[in-house]
Amino acid sequence: MNLLFIIFAAIVVVSALGVVLLRNPVHSALALVSNLVGVAAIYAMLNAHFLAVVQIIVYAGAIVVLVLFVLMLLNMKVEALKRHEKIFYTTVMLVAVAFCAAILPILHQFFGEFNPAASLTIASGAAASGAAALPRVEGTVEAIGKVLFTRYLFLFEAASILIMAALVGAVMLSHRVSNANGSSVNSGPSTDPSTTVRS
Amino acid sequence: MSNAAITVINQTAVHAQLGIVAGLPLLGSALAYVVGRKNRDAAGWIATAAAALSFLWVLKLFAALSPEHYFEQRLAPWFSAPGLSVDFLLRFDQLTAVMCLIITGIGSLIHLYSIGYMAEDESRHRFFSYMNLFLFSMLTLVLGGNLLVLFIGWEGVGLCSYLLIGFWFKNLDYAGAGRKAFVVNRISDAGMLLAMFLLIQQFGTLDFVQLRALIGDPSTIVTVGGVGLLSIVAACLFIGATGKSAQIPLFVWLPDAMAGPTPVSALIHAATMVTAGLYLMARTNFIFDMAPSVMGVIIIIAVLTAFIAATIALAQNDIKKVLAYSTVSQLGFMFMAAGMGAYWIAIFHVITHALFKGCLFLCAGSVIMGCHHEQDMRKLGGLAKLMPITFATYLVSTLAIAGIYPFSGYQSKHAIVEALIGPDNPLHVVVASWVPILVSITAFLTAFYMTRSVALTFFGSYRGANGHDHHDANHDTKAKHDSHADKASSHTSHDSHQPHESPWVMTLPLILLGTGATVAGLLLQSALPEFLSPVLPRAHAHVPATVVEGIKGSWLGIVGVFLGLILYTKLQIVPRVIGSAFMPITKLFAGKWYFDELYAALIVRPLEGASQALWRIVDSAIIDGTVNGTGKIVDINGEWLRGTQTGQIRHYLLLMFFAAVVMLVFCFVL
Amino acid sequence: MTPLSFYLALSAIMFVIGCVGAIVRRNAIVVFMCIELMLNAVNLSFVAFSHSVGNLDGQIAVFFVMVVAAAEAAVGLAIILGLFRTTKSVETSAANEMRL
Repeated sequence: MNLLFIIFAAIVVVSALGVVLLRNPVHSALALVSNLVGVAAIYAMLNAHFLAVVQIIVYAGAIVVLVLFVLMLLNMKVEALKRHEKIFYTTVMLVAVAFCAAILPILHQFFGEFNPAASLTIASGAAASGAAALPRVEGTVEAIGKVLFTRYLFLFEAASILIMAALVGAVMLSHRVSNANGSSVNSGPSTDPSTTVRS
Repeated sequence: MSNAAITVINQTAVHAQLGIVAGLPLLGSALAYVVGRKNRDAAGWIATAAAALSFLWVLKLFAALSPEHYFEQRLAPWFSAPGLSVDFLLRFDQLTAVMCLIITGIGSLIHLYSIGYMAEDESRHRFFSYMNLFLFSMLTLVLGGNLLVLFIGWEGVGLCSYLLIGFWFKNLDYAGAGRKAFVVNRISDAGMLLAMFLLIQQFGTLDFVQLRALIGDPSTIVTVGGVGLLSIVAACLFIGATGKSAQIPLFVWLPDAMAGPTPVSALIHAATMVTAGLYLMARTNFIFDMAPSVMGVIIIIAVLTAFIAATIALAQNDIKKVLAYSTVSQLGFMFMAAGMGAYWIAIFHVITHALFKGCLFLCAGSVIMGCHHEQDMRKLGGLAKLMPITFATYLVSTLAIAGIYPFSGYQSKHAIVEALIGPDNPLHVVVASWVPILVSITAFLTAFYMTRSVALTFFGSYRGANGHDHHDANHDTKAKHDSHADKASSHTSHDSHQPHESPWVMTLPLILLGTGATVAGLLLQSALPEFLSPVLPRAHAHVPATVVEGIKGSWLGIVGVFLGLILYTKLQIVPRVIGSAFMPITKLFAGKWYFDELYAALIVRPLEGASQALWRIVDSAIIDGTVNGTGKIVDINGEWLRGTQTGQIRHYLLLMFFAAVVMLVFCFVL
Repeated sequence: MTPLSFYLALSAIMFVIGCVGAIVRRNAIVVFMCIELMLNAVNLSFVAFSHSVGNLDGQIAVFFVMVVAAAEAAVGLAIILGLFRTTKSVETSAANEMRL
């Protein structure tokens, strides 16, 4: 199992780096797709089958496509690296390194060492320290459906309202209204320079 | 210690309406201002009516007075603290009666006079309001039954003096004179407050009747470091008196006070306020009687003041300045008497001085008005024919101040000199031998310089509008502060308006006061000590039996008048020669013995320098710097904090990320 | 079995990469994609915990996160379009008017 994990982890990390480092935004989007697929594979490894599929359908299939649509629409240029922001970049890197440095002890403290032998993961029935073995759950459609529509029913309905709100919002924000002169005016929140917050 | 003099009778208190006496002028003050704003002329009559009505009420009280009792009225309780409780208490005994009569009587006459004098002034309603306010304060002073009520009046007269001296405040010099008077008075007030504090601490009361009862008892005498407490109290009270009554070293404000209108000089600086110090001494005579050493000092200061002021008056050319220094000198005489324990004689001189000095000042005002605001005597002259009434009353008052029998000054001055060196010296103090000599010289000088002023002003020919007669008569060099307070000193080609006599509102008071100056001495010389005996110890004063004796007694005055007449009418070359021959002395007299310069160098300038330093360093740099600096710090902080609001989303994101990492580290790792 | 901490470490790495990307990149759409990366990292954590605890609650949470992410994608891209219309660029530095 470890091998599979390492492969997919590598895919995830490399494609994440690709998202961040590739200059062309379309390349970034493609790297994102690969990242999402890798994550989906890891979900499958963790017995979250339903989620793995939903991930591919929703994330890779809808969201990234939407992003690509927008990219095509806006026809943007390749982003250039700004030279005078060296200080900024170094600061960011330092903070990131600090974050990682901070995370590892936390993980160590709470979840044991990076030692396969002393892991806390509950494998199928392998209760090494005699603790009660937790049941292994399968994230199947049926299982998720059972939980979702009973315990989390209210949240489910709320989520549907949220999606509808997002739908309406997206339509409103991108709607073009032509005024009397025939030129198109953005009907979204006013972006008139004279009314923006400025000191 | 005095023994033979004290024949004080114990009196009982009787209730009477005393508040009206002081209340009427207070009401008049308010009315005069309020009504006067609409109708300027009404203000004067309202004020005069208030003063006159008050005088009538005083007369009524005076008539009802008898030696066995005094009047008392407790207006309201004031405060009651552990250790001291004070009420608004008014008392009217014989001494107060005399003072009230002077204040309201002469005050009313001066108010009447002012109606004429201030007839053309724009803000005369304010003037009359202040004058009535002054009457109120002075009456409160003399009616006060305890030292605190007296002090209210004391401060009040100081305030009114300031307001009235600086009445024409738009002239900065005049305003400065008002301020000088007030500041010098404050210095003396410190002395008075100290005396009050000591009395409170020792006796727990400030009431005169209670203090007199407590102090007469020898067991209450306390010594502080070898010096009697009462001596200290007496000294402090005297310091208070020197300020108000213009003795050395605090007399410097009085000549400058001539910046005010002449009626002010007459009322405040001749008749009433300057006698407040003497009244204080007379009222607290039981304290002073216990402090013979202080009395000795008082006498010396008084003699020196009288002499020095007389010499300065000799060298003045402004008629009001002559009268001002004359007042200082006469006050010295009064304090001489008080210092000898002969308080009634001091009060006698207060009365006569009020009459003749008041008259002199009012005459001076009449001259000034008649000659179109000319005050320099070198530019006057020949007014005897042009202003006869003024001349007559001025002459009579001059004879009075010179101490010539039978005019009123003779009796009081003679009594003073007798008390000083005569056999019935109440305190049995031995005075140094130079004292009588100096006093005699001063008496002579008084007659001399007053006659000089008569001669220069009224005799000869008018030197005013008809061009200048550069008459450097006698000791007038470029006397520094001479034509101070002149409203118009260069009348070169003025209109050929001849000087004229003043209207009846002004001459009537002159006549009345002049008459008083003539006869008051004769009338009072025996009656007064008798009248005042319940309150003030009676000291003997010899009454001249015959006219001849009287004239012999006034020989100094006669000589002075005679010399003055001759030297300033016919032999004018003589004073000029003497003046130039003794130039340093002349300069000393004309320069007022350089008291002002001494104070300026020793006190005023260091204070101003310290004040400037404090302003620049402490106030501007430190305090303002701190306050402004705090603001600046906030400002600067804001400026650099502002740098964090770049508007760039990336920067904000970085900050958030950074904050998250910090929280992570703090919560879990550390 | 791979220990839980491996999954969590992977999630953390992905998260950091997404964070850095969101800060460093100037193109608004790439920033948006990095945000999606971060969301995915968190989702991964949820699923890993769900697997280790033996419960389906974590997966339900992921479900809802995905819902919200989808909604956010729609609205966010609409906003970016609006930004493009006014400033004619999708650089994040173009939207810098709220500053002192």
